[in-house]
Amino acid sequence: MRELELYFGPQHLGMVGNFSITLNVEGDRILEAKANPGYLHRGFEKLMEYRTWIQNFPMVCRINVVEPDSMEMIYAMAVEKLASIEVPERAHYVRSIYLELARVASHLFGLWAYANMLGFDTVAQWAMYHRDLILDLFEELTGGRVYHIYIWPGGVRRDFPPGFEDKIVKILHVIGGCVPDYDATFFNNRLFYERAKEIGKINQEEAKQWGATGQTLRATGMKFDIRKVEPYAAYDKVDWEVPTREDGDAYSRVWVIRDEMIESVHMIFKLLDAMPEGPVYKRIPNPFKWKVPKGEAYVRCESSRGELGLYLVSNGGDKPYRVHFRTPSYPNGLIILERLLENASIADVGNIMISLYVVAPEIDR
Amino acid sequence: MSESIKEQLESTFKAVVITDSEEARIGVNVKKDQVLAVLSFLKDRRFDHLALVSCVDWIEEKEFELVYVLTCYMQANEEHTDQESLHLIVKTRISRQSPQFKTITDIFPNAEPYEREIHELFGVKFVGHKRLTPLFLERDYDIPPFRKDFDTRKYVKDLFDNIPSIEIEKK
Repeated sequence: MRELELYFGPQHLGMVGNFSITLNVEGDRILEAKANPGYLHRGFEKLMEYRTWIQNFPMVCRINVVEPDSMEMIYAMAVEKLASIEVPERAHYVRSIYLELARVASHLFGLWAYANMLGFDTVAQWAMYHRDLILDLFEELTGGRVYHIYIWPGGVRRDFPPGFEDKIVKILHVIGGCVPDYDATFFNNRLFYERAKEIGKINQEEAKQWGATGQTLRATGMKFDIRKVEPYAAYDKVDWEVPTREDGDAYSRVWVIRDEMIESVHMIFKLLDAMPEGPVYKRIPNPFKWKVPKGEAYVRCESSRGELGLYLVSNGGDKPYRVHFRTPSYPNGLIILERLLENASIADVGNIMISLYVVAPEIDR
Repeated sequence: MSESIKEQLESTFKAVVITDSEEARIGVNVKKDQVLAVLSFLKDRRFDHLALVSCVDWIEEKEFELVYVLTCYMQANEEHTDQESLHLIVKTRISRQSPQFKTITDIFPNAEPYEREIHELFGVKFVGHKRLTPLFLERDYDIPPFRKDFDTRKYVKDLFDNIPSIEIEKK
């Protein structure tokens, strides 16, 4: 049979986001896949070298459109580390609750993309609706729906407004009450099983070799989660479990995402109960004149997609000298995706890509 | 745990300088001909996760600094130990004049896209890398755009100010 070159994306029905893959196909088998990023390269890391430490916040949150909050967190953590700023106890709890809400919202968005791709339109609409409920919470808290700029060096911008805790509980109960519906229509659905089982399978050795983190690694059985191995914020203050699966295929990865959402909701309830009173913000020097001491820092946190790292260098000036983000989609989209697509069929490209949770803006930066 | 890794590194390699070690991090400065040996030494001692390869342009010192961030995966599926909370930053300096360095893709296969990125954005050539093709950019630049002497604002001004503005005809 003749070999053909097929362009999958950026304008393709099966493609989510501005990303493209060049496939070498024979019939409907893929012989070779080449990831082709760059459609969203905005050069943020370079642009950040031209702006002061605080001016960079509107930039960092735009690096990952789907989950901007981990980006704010990691940048604030790195600046705090360089400038040796201590964060008040309550701010740690507020940050954790806020990040877990963001994780649920991001997973619901991911579920929308995945269910939509498989043709489960009803489930996709539910997920989008439930994500919107969480965005309402964010709007009340920060004034923005998608980009919040809420986490700040030294804490968070403001405390929860009166009665906000009750609203969180109420909305999480609404979402949690729909889990049986999600299970019946999607997760326990035979069609989902048939479509995702044994697709895009990866074993633990390969996952480690190719730099996988997040769901891709946890779906192979390893309980690797930065929130556990190097706890930040208030994640070591409450009890929680890392959900895993054993098989390493698309089915396992999507189940890990489901279990993580439920675990996050439980964690938010525990954090709300344990949250102490006190200030949420420690004053930082005048942002216009702020010079961060010379040094370098690598910090990492667990975003909804895996290990998110930031290598930040300061030369003692009022602007960063070098910024480099290590995003979880980078190995997933540029290495693992290419390897897993070999010998897959064209119909599974979207399936494998979305189950790996690849977000294009995170790769291009 | 960090103490024993430090001691092992210092006793095995003569030219290694441990710059700083805090609770969770160890900084290691390495001469450029020893980087591959140090990285594979560390990989055998459980630092098996290459999290990031980065490059810093120290223009005043006329040098590029290559940065390798190593962390550990868990050994058992269930329990984590103290070592996973550590990270190790291996750094080396290369000349800014016709910069080139050996690839580490034989030790860590996942370094492939990181080295492609540095090649494209900083112009560092990685010898032995099988796929140094463009990654993000669509055109060639005289100076690779992430170097410090590439002025983004000047580039934008030169590029877009030369586009003639559209004259709207007045009736």
